[in-house]
Amino acid sequence: MAFINDQINHQDLFYSAVMLNTDINYKTFRDLIDNKAIKTYRDISDREILTRIAKGEIKLRNDTVHRIKKLLDSYSDIEKIVGKYRKTALENNISVHSSLDENYPYNWKVLSGMPQVFYSRGNINLIGQMTYQGAVAVVGSRNPSKYSLYATEQICSELGNKGITIVSGMACGIDRQAHISSVNTQGGTVAVLAGGVDNIYPPANKDIYDLIGINGLLISEMPPGQMPLRQYFPSRNRLIAGLSDTTLIMEAGICSGTLHTASFAANQGKEVFVLPNNIYYENAKGGLKLLEDGGNVLLGPECVIDSITRALMFKRMGMGCPAELSYSDDKDEFTDNIDIGALRELSRSDPETLTDDNWKTIITDALTLKPLCADELCSVTMLPFYKISILLTELELNGTVCQEKGKYSLTFV
Amino acid sequence: MPTRPNVVHIYSCFTTGSDSTLSLIEVSISPGIPTFSVIGLCDSSIRESEGRIRSAFKSAGFNMPKGHITIGISPAYMRKAGSGFDLSMAMGILFCSGQLYLPPNSKIYAEGELSLGGDVIGTPGSCLRLKTVRNMDFDYKIIPAGEASSAGIACFTGQTVSSLSDLEGLFEGGLYKDNVFEFCRQDADKDYIDISNLKGQEKAKRALLISAAGFHNLLLMGSPGCGKTLAGKMLAGIMPELTPEELSDVYSITELLEGEKAGHSCERPVRLIGPNITVGKLLGNSSSLTPGELALANHGILFADELPLYSSEVLDFLRKPLEERKVQLMRRGQLYSFDANFIFLGTGNPCKCGLLYESGDRCRCSANSISRYMSKITGPFLERIDLFSEMRSVSGKDMAFICADDKEGESPYYRETVKRCWDIAHKRYGSDFLNGTFRDTDIKDILRVPEKVIKYAGDTCDKGFFSARGFTRILRVARTIADIKGAEDISEEDIAEAVQYRKRGF
Repeated sequence: MAFINDQINHQDLFYSAVMLNTDINYKTFRDLIDNKAIKTYRDISDREILTRIAKGEIKLRNDTVHRIKKLLDSYSDIEKIVGKYRKTALENNISVHSSLDENYPYNWKVLSGMPQVFYSRGNINLIGQMTYQGAVAVVGSRNPSKYSLYATEQICSELGNKGITIVSGMACGIDRQAHISSVNTQGGTVAVLAGGVDNIYPPANKDIYDLIGINGLLISEMPPGQMPLRQYFPSRNRLIAGLSDTTLIMEAGICSGTLHTASFAANQGKEVFVLPNNIYYENAKGGLKLLEDGGNVLLGPECVIDSITRALMFKRMGMGCPAELSYSDDKDEFTDNIDIGALRELSRSDPETLTDDNWKTIITDALTLKPLCADELCSVTMLPFYKISILLTELELNGTVCQEKGKYSLTFV
Repeated sequence: MPTRPNVVHIYSCFTTGSDSTLSLIEVSISPGIPTFSVIGLCDSSIRESEGRIRSAFKSAGFNMPKGHITIGISPAYMRKAGSGFDLSMAMGILFCSGQLYLPPNSKIYAEGELSLGGDVIGTPGSCLRLKTVRNMDFDYKIIPAGEASSAGIACFTGQTVSSLSDLEGLFEGGLYKDNVFEFCRQDADKDYIDISNLKGQEKAKRALLISAAGFHNLLLMGSPGCGKTLAGKMLAGIMPELTPEELSDVYSITELLEGEKAGHSCERPVRLIGPNITVGKLLGNSSSLTPGELALANHGILFADELPLYSSEVLDFLRKPLEERKVQLMRRGQLYSFDANFIFLGTGNPCKCGLLYESGDRCRCSANSISRYMSKITGPFLERIDLFSEMRSVSGKDMAFICADDKEGESPYYRETVKRCWDIAHKRYGSDFLNGTFRDTDIKDILRVPEKVIKYAGDTCDKGFFSARGFTRILRVARTIADIKGAEDISEEDIAEAVQYRKRGF
């Protein structure tokens, strides 16, 4: 019955199939284990034990016995499903891990409600590395502003180079940027998927899926072939928070899934860092609310490194990274010291005297607050559109300004 | 008593699509049992003329001659339709039977339908036919009284008749005169909405001006209620009135559909189409060769509202006419074409909720849903759109700026600028073309682009602002911008402005 030869444990698959396809849940398992009916969750596939339970030889709750009886009736169906899982797993090079293996994340062990079995594809050694060098969850909007994307790129590559693993959800926007920036660094990247590991969601992220499958790690609590249903995503966010030592919120709207991840992390006793964002930017309001509620301000990679050092110390795994995690002080050069107030004054009183460069300064100044469309720029600068358009093209050409969603914004490079 | 001719020749004309062909009607009467046969690939509307002619003769006091009447209509290999041959056939019979005096060696043109009471009625397509005939050498040109206005627009000279009995006076009484018809041209009496009503939409306003000045296709996108449709309606108002030639082009197509009821005002036609339009309605019916919306928009504007909701099939059929500036219809292996030289003006929402360009983050559409919504407007279609402008609803804050700059009645100034640009362009390309429409040749020299500016445009192209295919379109828009300024050469600034109107994918 057991298939020891390959990476796929039959009992683990059986467990997944039972959890997904019958009404047996965590509660049932707790009842079974507390009353010593089974030793570990793996015994659920043992027909003899099940028959004994069904006969009522062990004292259990009524509904537990009832559910086990139903499981016995549908035993062959479950076996068929297990066969399907195995086939998909073998075809897609997916391996199975469980809480009884050595490859089970330490961070999950110390939490309750984490999956007993998970599936992976890629470099499984990352799980061990994370335990010793730390992991950071980086989550945010699927539709981020340039600023948040830029910060994500900077911080993730910096942390990755220090050996810290970046954990995210392979969604569009911030998640995607986090994976791309860290996949080739020392720390590597882990993508936690909502569906089976073989399901690429969203399909547009096929390129990074392939990349992470080679250099990083893709994991999921769902068995192979499972579609990423809507209700799985909050559970996936819980795993992301659970897997990492610290959570970074790069950008979150008022009611977004990113906030779920933050609350999971807070409930698990982990520090949450929020990237301070523009208060006029609607899509960042949720993150700012978190700051108001006592989230940590993400001032740069160094404060994340401090937090991880503390978390690692708590883990009493005093090996590896803390000594290496030092942050080098690069000073940002701030050269812009033109008096913008005087310029703006002049543009009202005597617009003829301003040069094109002066106007460009006024335009970029107007854009620092928030992205504006061409008509709004016209009303801010009081310039006719043809003049504005010429200046905008030049600003776009030299890379100061970019255009998206019909609005102009500053690039952060 | 003059000798009766054996065969009488009378000329007439028929239309297929927008082509009209001169045809020769031959009538011969030979003794025998009375018959009436019409030959030459005629459809039933021509063959039914026997009944009309017979009754009309009776009403007008003529007699139907007894004997074999054979009427041949040439060119015999072409299919012909329409009741416009009635008058020429009837005249042929009258001449042949000696009831009317046929002046010797005279060439006669006649067209018109007969009613049973002997009245001569006009038939659709008269403007096209009369334009074909106007310069031909005929001794007698006879048309129905109802076609007088068509004759005026077609610059046709000849004589109108209102009933069959008038013919007697013309041929026996010598009343025939080559009349010149009055060119009836109504002034544009429509009150266009003034462009200053488009408050706070500076980019859209400028785009409208450039579009009108260079005949460039335009796409306006923005949230519901931000004034897209209003802006579209203003476009016709800032364009010059139709010239007499253009009016006759426009009239001859509307006349095909509406007959003598067709209006002859100098307003540029604005054809509003909606997303549920069929390909047949758009291009025209290929079996009856009736013109579609594209042909009706000739010299004017084709206004497509809610562009992203169109079926991609319809948009694909639009591509070729936009390129060639004419519509081609295929019937029985033969190609018929209508001129379709119009400004394509599309409007629509940028995403499902329509709020993408609004300030703040009111739009909750995902990137996927936006690209799905926009997927029908394909890249090749966008290549043909020279100007793109976002629009958004104007906020109270901007009103301060708008009120500070409260110009009333800007439209006359805009119209003047457009007229000036058209004059410049007509000098450059000849009278048929404008910056947006002239055929691709070695455009660098015609447009007067200095080497330095070409290099600048190449740089912007490399930076990914537009594709190489969009390059010539950019130069054309830049040319129009330079014309608005009145500059000889295109400058870098013109290119820089033109780039801002380019849509870079959705």
